[in-house]
Order: sequence, then structure tokens, then C-alpha cells
Amino acid sequence: MRSMPPSKEGRQPLSDTKNAPEMVNITINGIQHEAVAGERVIIAAEKAGEYIPRFCHHPKLDPVGKCRQCLVEVEGPRGKQLLPSCAIYVTDGMVIDTQSDVVKKAQKGVLEYLLINHPLDCPVCDKAGECPLQDQTMTHGPGESRFVEAKRKFKKPIPVSDLVLLDRERCILCDRCVRVADQIAGDPLITFNERGNQTQILTFPNEPFASYFSGNTVQVCPVGALTSTDYRFRARPWDLEITPTVSLRDTVHSNAEINTSRGRVIRVYGATNDHVNDGWLSDKDRFSFGAINSDERVTTPLRKTGTGFEEITWADAIDTVSARLGAMIGTEVGSIGGANNTNEEAYALSKFMRTVIGSPHVDAQLGDGFEPQLAAAVIPRAKIDDIDAATTILVWGPDLKERLPVLYLRVRKAVRNGANLVVVAPTRTGLDAIATHVIRYRAGSGQDVIRKLANADKSMTAILETLAEGPVVTLFGRTSIAEDPRLAESVAAYGRTLDGAKLMPLLQRANVFGALDMGLAPNLLPGRISTTDTDASSHIEETWGPLPDALGRDTAAMLSGAVSGDIRALILVGADPVRDFPDPQAAEKALEEAEFVVAIDAFVTDSSRHADIILPAALWSEVEGTVTNLEGRVQVVGAALPPKGQARSVIGMLNDIATSMGAELTSFDVSVVSKEIATVAPAYQGITRDGIVFTSSGAGIVVPSQEAEIIVEMAPRYASMAPDAVPTEASGSAVIVPAQGTQPLGYIPTDQAVPMVTDRYTLHYAPAMYDDGVITRHAPSIADLVRDPTVGLNPRDASILAVANGSIVVVDGSVELPVRIDEAVPEGSVVLPFNHAATKGLQAVPAVTVEPIRDES
Amino acid sequence: MSWLSDLLGPLKGFLVPLRQIRKGPVTRKYPQVKRVKPQRFHGRHTLNRYPNGMEKCIGCELCAGVCPANCIYVRGKDNPPDNPVSPGERWGFVYEINMLRCIFCAMCVEACPTQAITMTHLFEMSVTNRDDAIYTRTELLVDRDGTPNYPPHEDSPLTNLEELRKGDGWMRATSPSGRREYEGIVAWTPSARTGELPAERGQSSGTPQVSEDADG
Ligand code: SF4
Ligand code: SF4
Ligand code: SF4
Ligand code: FES
Repeated sequence: MRSMPPSKEGRQPLSDTKNAPEMVNITINGIQHEAVAGERVIIAAEKAGEYIPRFCHHPKLDPVGKCRQCLVEVEGPRGKQLLPSCAIYVTDGMVIDTQSDVVKKAQKGVLEYLLINHPLDCPVCDKAGECPLQDQTMTHGPGESRFVEAKRKFKKPIPVSDLVLLDRERCILCDRCVRVADQIAGDPLITFNERGNQTQILTFPNEPFASYFSGNTVQVCPVGALTSTDYRFRARPWDLEITPTVSLRDTVHSNAEINTSRGRVIRVYGATNDHVNDGWLSDKDRFSFGAINSDERVTTPLRKTGTGFEEITWADAIDTVSARLGAMIGTEVGSIGGANNTNEEAYALSKFMRTVIGSPHVDAQLGDGFEPQLAAAVIPRAKIDDIDAATTILVWGPDLKERLPVLYLRVRKAVRNGANLVVVAPTRTGLDAIATHVIRYRAGSGQDVIRKLANADKSMTAILETLAEGPVVTLFGRTSIAEDPRLAESVAAYGRTLDGAKLMPLLQRANVFGALDMGLAPNLLPGRISTTDTDASSHIEETWGPLPDALGRDTAAMLSGAVSGDIRALILVGADPVRDFPDPQAAEKALEEAEFVVAIDAFVTDSSRHADIILPAALWSEVEGTVTNLEGRVQVVGAALPPKGQARSVIGMLNDIATSMGAELTSFDVSVVSKEIATVAPAYQGITRDGIVFTSSGAGIVVPSQEAEIIVEMAPRYASMAPDAVPTEASGSAVIVPAQGTQPLGYIPTDQAVPMVTDRYTLHYAPAMYDDGVITRHAPSIADLVRDPTVGLNPRDASILAVANGSIVVVDGSVELPVRIDEAVPEGSVVLPFNHAATKGLQAVPAVTVEPIRDES
Repeated sequence: MSWLSDLLGPLKGFLVPLRQIRKGPVTRKYPQVKRVKPQRFHGRHTLNRYPNGMEKCIGCELCAGVCPANCIYVRGKDNPPDNPVSPGERWGFVYEINMLRCIFCAMCVEACPTQAITMTHLFEMSVTNRDDAIYTRTELLVDRDGTPNYPPHEDSPLTNLEELRKGDGWMRATSPSGRREYEGIVAWTPSARTGELPAERGQSSGTPQVSEDADG
């Protein structure tokens, strides 16, 4: 199955592997240096403090030696030779000259040559001001051109996709974009055309550059040849204020920087954290910021009236909410959501519900995830870096390319470097093309596959041989929202039996792992503590006061409780159950029936429409704090702007509600709340926002999962400033020791014996990257990229139903959509896009009915 | 004879005013009579057009970036393809200068790649409220035929249209880099207001020649 050329450089040595890389001696400009054997000369020189100008070289891409800007002189058997330093590797005793007259002349010559056809339209070019071609012309260029003839002309700019524009006149043919699309993203959709003077980058005819990672080509293009449509002419680099942050569009938490100008977010750029995202972002990470600036944001508190909503003051809103909630018994109140918030906000919500209200009913998942303890505390837990180190990777969960795109890049990288990949899913996934083995199963019969694997069924021999090559990292999650959540646990239990097993839970919603770690689940308390663990919960009670005794309800039980009357008030925190809960009608009914609904939300959604009070919430880029990703890495999100209008952070509003109810919650100051978490939540012992900022050199800190201690790499100059870590002088690192006495939970998954679904048609119901989510819908650049909805059917089922491609069928008596006949859909399965406007209201049940519409005439 | 010069010394001082009496008064009846300003005087800005009426400004924000007083605000936009405002892809759809902050250094004029922003000889810009001191495109942009606009005090004796016509392009009428060998060669795009200006002379002495010390 594998169709990917392997990386030319093989597996990169990981920084934390035990065996140190082999070192060699080289001489650069007459000075001896040590370098890693096999490293590119340009990188070795940079580490030694010699910057060699370059255009096509990119540390994350295979070398091509296209631009010749990096020429240096290397001594060889036949005297000194000019060689491209990005395409040669250091060897012992290599003598390199980066400063000689010959080198300088060569570099000047190359630049003059590159500029011959360059239009020099810097004043209107989006790259100007942060352009390597400009910068290196200033530092290494000739300053003057001898070229007086007419320059090459192209039509400019031409759109290569909805998000990216191409100006071929500016292109210097460095091949970076082509390599990013091909080697990193696996979407080889742009390439060189023509030859000689007419060489140009182009897409294939009638095939747009429809990649989920197209924004990265814009970022790596060393000139302004590739620019993004939504940043076009919006600002110039010197206007931009930069706030480091991480993206919250999925649970990978890719590092990014928010660029603002005059109080508006106008661009999001990838930032490099090699432990997380290698500098890449998905287009959803990059282009969804439009929602922050949306005019449809809720900017004042709203109260429901007979006909709609009226604007009210914050004081009024707080009084109403506290009076209504205060009049109820604690256990009659439930809160749904919190996964889109920071850890500090989630902690405040968890504490608010459990102490001020006195209710155990909190849930950050909307029935779309799985067992919270499994997600928060599975052991042994894999880090993203473990994917690089794995020999075999087993992916059995959501389609990574659609749902966790940057993790998809990471798996791709590992496979390129030689790892085996086994993908198990009911239908085609983005990883299939590079997988060693693909197992497809009829939706609803996953347990059968596990049984076959566990019993070494004959049909699985080849796959089991691959899985025997450890260490094996298992990425597990729900492949579809219609799938039994217990299957994920069975998968984890199976993955745990493999050689050198590490497990990575795949949930997708923003900061859901942080929310679970802060106790936003009916059976979890902050710091990965089970509510049934009396020892540990008494540790929390020391600070919080008594915890509610009653058993917590999850989202499904809260919604049914609202219908039966057991739950009288619901607090929706950035949650839209009417769209995201597997049973939308039940969610809608519950919100209608509940006596009092408060929605903390940034938009009026299908769910918050039912609220009695809407409190305007600040969005990503407007709140600061910490977040936790799917490997348990705690990182910092930054606030680039004040919240829009009167919107506020959840901490602020909950504090006010608590005060008005006569209670005390937390500080308003994120740093102080973070310190409180570090003392109250056992797994987060010693991990504070300030600590991360000062100690982890921006890489974040992975929450120790029942391992004795973790070493945090620390920039030496910050060593003395680290407020909460204990610096060890010699190494410049800090040791964080988990709480004494209260051990955080370590959850061992067990096989769940999930029943098989035997109905005629089983449903595979999974969202695509561009879905009808509230942020995507309000982000103008990506809102239109939602794919047309179809019903995926196996060819045999299609012929039984007598339908052709494009015929309309009715699914479950309610959704009418055209058929897409697809070999990759197993017989008896139906594939539908979840969270799509066309499937709105369809219940995510394991089995559905499918009926063709017959043309009556 | 030092005693004699000691005696006459103080009287010598009177010679100065006596000599000046012959020359008549130097004060003028400002504002009815105005002094002729030096050619390169830095007064109020204008935003220029090409002789065909297109705007020269391309909204590149270089002037805003260079301005030491941080008083320029520019925003660019895509040119409408069927009716472009300026040649090329981009035009400056917002252009504002806060004249209360401007220090009339002409750095913006130097930075501008298209000679869109230039300075004139008009310096009388008193206003009665702060908002009026922010000159926008309405005030700065010349008409299609090159006539400058001069609100907010059109009827004031202070504002003299002639002064607004003066000064265009003098700063850089020759070599952009000031090199001697360009002496007398026009490197200034013609503008609707003044057409093509003659090159400024005398920026360097001696005969034009390729200099040895120039970089390259
Ligand atoms: S478009 Fe940019 S990245 Fe691609 S080859 Fe041209 S210069 Fe390089
Ligand atoms: S003259 Fe100087 S201070 Fe005034 S706007 Fe131009 S650059 Fe700024
Ligand atoms: S006036 Fe000149 S420098 Fe300023 S934005 Fe316009 S073109 Fe650019
Ligand atoms: S950077 Fe080495 S050839 Fe381009």
C-alpha cells in the first residue's frame, strides 16, 4: 500500500534518545567546531554561529540544492570547491570556508541572477518586510543590477486554491512549496511547469491546490510568490504585534503566533515546537480566526424575551443568574461544556459547580468522546515524540487528516522515516495511502476485529507480524460518533498488550484534555483524581471545602434529567449540544424543558438560542491561560486582544456570580488561579502558567502520568527566575516532583465486550475538517470550504437499492442526500458527514434505514 | 592709539543700525505679504496623481513605517480590476496624517516609492479642534486635474493656493540615491499637479563621473 518515497535522511535522532549522536570535528573559517555526523553543513555552520544565506534550504524538508545561494568553499582532494552547503553533509575533518572572496562573489552573483526576473514590487508585496529575498539582498547581495532588458511577465496573481494566491513573477523556484505539499502534507498538487526562463509553479489543470495544509506553503515561501487571500494587503509586517500562543482548533495544540494590527487579529502563523507541531499548522488552525472578528458575536449579556433577545447589563445578568441558581438545590443544576476554555477557566467552572452550587453534574464532553478517566489518565501514555520513536503505529480512531491534521503530519513523518503503520477504520482515511496495512470493518463490528487480532486469526497474520515489531504506539479513539464509545477502550486495552506499548487517546475538542484534568467530568476531580478516591478528594476538600456526595451525571443523563425534571437548570459553557450531541432532538427537547438555561457563549447557536440568559464569552486570542493537549502537555495560550465588546473570560463571570451568591471562588488573576491549580490538583503539582513561561523554553510541560518525575528543559538565563520549579544548578533544568501522598489516577483500559450491530445498514457518521461548527461557520475564509454532503454506499448495496452515483436516498426517514458509490465503504455501512448543515438533526444511532427515492413519473 | 579706539568703539556699534536704516524694514505685513520660501521648504503634504488622473499612492505603508512621529495611518486594498484607482494591484484606501504630531521631517516623502506623498510650501494649518488636524484623503489628495484641496479654512487669508502648488518634487528631482553621476537626470514621475519638473541642479559639485567609492 505504501506509496511514499522514504525520506532521504532517514530517521532523525531524537533529542531524548539515550545514545548520543556521533560527533565529528570540522573547521569553519579556520576555527575548529564539533558537529553531528551526517548533519547538513548549513545547519552545522549555523550552530557554530556562521549564517549562510539560503532560500531553498528548510530544516524540515529534504535538501534539493536548487537556489545555489548557500555556496561555500570546501577543501577536497582537488583543491577548494564551491558546493551548496545545504546539500552536503559534514564529515570528519571537513574544512569549510564561508567567507572567502570566491564565496562572496558567488553569493552576490546568485542573488543578482535571482533578481533578474524578479518584479521588485516590494511596495505592494505582502512579504516585504519579512522577506528573506529582501533581507539577503541587503546582507549578501550586489546592491545593483546590470540587467536592463525586459523582465519576464506573468499574469498576477492567480488563485491556486480558495486560500492561496500565486504570483509567478516573484517566484525564485526554490521548490519549498512543492516539497511541503509533497513531503510534509502528502498532497503533491503543485509542481514546476515549463522550462528555462518560463519555469513556473502551477497546479495541475482543473485540480485546485485543495490541501488541508496549503497555508504552510505560504509561510515557507521565501518570497511573496504564495500569499494567502485573507491576509492580502491587510497590513504590513511592521504593523503586526505578535502574541505567542497555541491553536485550539483541535487537541494537538500546535504552536502558533497571533498577529494583530490595530486591535484586530489579521493573521495566524505557525510557530515551531518540535515536540508538538514542527512549525506546521492546518488551514483550519490558520484561517479560522475570522470568527473572532465576526459581527455576529454576542457582545453584551442577553435575556430571552417573548420574541428574541434583549440586551441587558452585566450587573442585571449576574443578579438574574445568581438569584435563579441560588433558589435551586445544588444537584438540580448541571453544567455542560468547558472544553473550549483554558485550564484555569475549566478549573473555575469545576470549582464553581462543586462548591458554590454544590452539584456534581459537570461534563466537558458532549457524548462524543469516551470514558473520561480513560482519556485523562490512561497508562502508559504516549507523547507525540513517541510517534517518531515507534517502530509500529496503530491508528484506530477518527480520521487524523480530517480531525487532528497536525498529528496526521506527525504520523506521516514517522512513516516516511521508516515506521510501520496499521490503520483500522470503517472507511477510507487520510492515512490509508501510506499505511503498511489497512483494516476496514463494517461500522458497528469493531469488536470483531479486536477479537480476531487478539486470537491471532489467520486473516490477520501479516498484520500481527507488523504489530509484533515494537515499540508500538496505539492512537485510539472513536472512528465515528455513531460508534459505541466503549470500543475505544477495547482498542486501548488491545494496544496495551503490544510490545513496548504506549497509548494516545484521541479526543478532538479544543482543550477537552485540560477540561477533564480540571475535573469537568462526572467521575473526575481536578488533577486526575477519581471522585471515588476518598484519600485524594480529601486533599482537594482541604482547599475547596466539602464536595457534593451525589453521583455526577454525564451530558446524556443531564439532558434526560432536564426532561424528567430532576435537573432544573443547565449551564452551557461554549457547548452546542443541539449540534454536537449524538441525539440532537433529545438535546433540543431538554433545553426547551429545562426551567432555566444559561449559555456562556460567543454566538447565538442552535443551543444557546434556548437560553434564558446568554453571557458573552471571550474567545481564543482574547483569554490567556494554560491548556493541555492530547499527550498531556501543558502550554500557554496568549491574549492578543481584549475580549470583543463586553465579553469576558469565564473566570471573571463565575467569580461575579459566586460573589453575588455570597460565596468566594477564585482570584480573577490567571496566574493566581494557575498557582491554585498547582497546589490543589495533584497531577498538576508545580505546573503553573508562570513556570511554563519561564522554564520550558516555550516547549510546555508534559503532566507526569504516574511516573516519578519529569525534567523540564530550561533556558539557562531563566533558571533563577523560575518561581515554582526547583532548579538544579548544574544542568539548568528543573525537577518537578509529583504531589506526595495523593497519587493521580492511572487508568488501565480493559476489554469492554461491545456488542456487534447486526442491522441491515450501520452508520459511520464522522465530521470532515471543514464542518458546520460554529467557528468554521463564522470564519469567512473557510466557511465555504465545507464539502458537498453525500451518502457513501458500497457498490453492492447501491445495486441492491438500485441507485446510481448522485441518486437521492433517504437516510433514517429524514435526511435526503445524493449517493456516492465508494469501494472503501464496507458492505452494509452508510457513510454520512456529521456536523454538516445537511445532516442537521439526524440522530447518531448505530443502525439506520436507507431508502431510494423513486422518480414517480 | 588704543585710547582712541576705546573711545570710538561704542560709537562703532551705532554704525550697524545706521547702515540698516538705508535698507528699509525687514518685517512684513504677514499674512497679506508672505515671504518666498526656500525651494525645499517642508510644509503641508499633498497626495499626488499621475497626469492621467490615477492616484500615485499604492497603500504600501512605507511612509507610515518610516514616520518618526508615527502620525500616518494607511491601509491598502485590492484595486478594482475594472476601474483601478492606481496602477498595479494595490491602492491606499485609507490615508491619514495627524498634523498635530507631524514634525515636517519629510521622511515620508523620501520613503515613498511612487512619489505619491510630497510636501508643499503651505504651513498655515491652525485648527479649532483636534479632529480637524487629522488630514484624510479628502484633504490631501489632489483633484484629477492636479488642483490641491485646502480645507479646513478655505476662506482664510492664511491659506494660499499658490503655496500649495509649490514644492512638489523638489526634494528628489534628481538621483534617488543622491549620487553625483545622476546630476541633472530627472528621476521623478510627472504628476498631474506640476507635470515633469526640471531636474534640480547643484546637488554635487564638479563634473559628473562614476565615483570610485560608490557601493556596488
Ligand atoms: S512559490 Fe515560493 S516556495 Fe514555491 S518555488 Fe516559488 S519561491 Fe519557492
Ligand atoms: S513629515 Fe515626518 S513627521 Fe510628518 S508625516 Fe512625514 S515622516 Fe511623519
Ligand atoms: S504615500 Fe507613498 S509611501 Fe505612503 S502608502 Fe502611499 S505609496 Fe506608500
Ligand atoms: S539553500 Fe542551498 S541551494 Fe538553496
